[in-house]
Amino acid sequence: MNQQDHLMGDEEERLDALFQAYRQAYPDAEAGANFMPQLWQKIEARERTSTIFARLARNLVTAALALSSILGLAVTVSHSRASALPSETYVEVLEEDHARQNLDYFEPVRVEPIADHR
Amino acid sequence: MLVDFELIIRAREGDGAAFNQLVLAYRKRILGTIGRLIGHPEDVEDVGQEVFLRLYFSLDQLRSAEVFEPWLYRLTANAAYDYLRKRRRRMESRMADLSEQQVTVADALASTKVDHDEGQRKAIRETVDSLLDGVSEEDRVLLMLKEVEGLSLRELGKIYHVNENALKVRLFRARQRVLKSFRASRKAVAGLKGSS
Repeated sequence: MNQQDHLMGDEEERLDALFQAYRQAYPDAEAGANFMPQLWQKIEARERTSTIFARLARNLVTAALALSSILGLAVTVSHSRASALPSETYVEVLEEDHARQNLDYFEPVRVEPIADHR
Repeated sequence: MLVDFELIIRAREGDGAAFNQLVLAYRKRILGTIGRLIGHPEDVEDVGQEVFLRLYFSLDQLRSAEVFEPWLYRLTANAAYDYLRKRRRRMESRMADLSEQQVTVADALASTKVDHDEGQRKAIRETVDSLLDGVSEEDRVLLMLKEVEGLSLRELGKIYHVNENALKVRLFRARQRVLKSFRASRKAVAGLKGSS
């Protein structure tokens, strides 16, 4: 058991040494001459993209507002026109008409007194 | 801290020269960290630019000077993680993926502390990269920050905004996984040497 612990500890140390060697194998390095110009190009490109998106979003909002105004206007106009027309529904009109026809049948019959013909 | 908070404030207010100074102050350190985190020297500058790009667009969220460095490390860790995730398509490494040469180099390191030549450095990089391919990208970045960059649990806690104990457990598990691969590859190579 002790030997196994020793071997495991040994491997832990080897792994630590490997990580340290890895650290040395990748020393901090200076960037190339183009690092900053390329960085600013990327920043400007992203700013342009976000400006385009912002403009697009603004235009979409304006278009949506205009569209809703037009729709609102159209609804108002159609309402005012609709008030000149009969407000009943088709069924109500039919029902009313039917009721009028029925009146013909149920109108009280005028009973004329029977005259004496003699 | 490598810069005054005043410089950060000026950069935050849109002063390009101040932002340049900020980048110049941290560039070398951040690029070194990225190189070790991702293990691909050819992509270090790209990832570094991504880090400073994110910094530029999020500077206005910074509230105090003492959180600047952990925050910059957080951006670095995130950018490295994003890069590694994109590159993930690589095959998952197994113990046998380590070559005999890599294990020999790893073994030699335990006893010597000399300056390594470029061939050895390359072998070391490949060895560690192969070992770390066996853990997730998040664990790789975390393990690197702790073992290679030498950050303390407290510093890591500030970067990740998590409890130190949770980090300790996660680091322990990741290290055990790497250690297991390391042990198995050494055994495999020892077996090969024994049979030949």
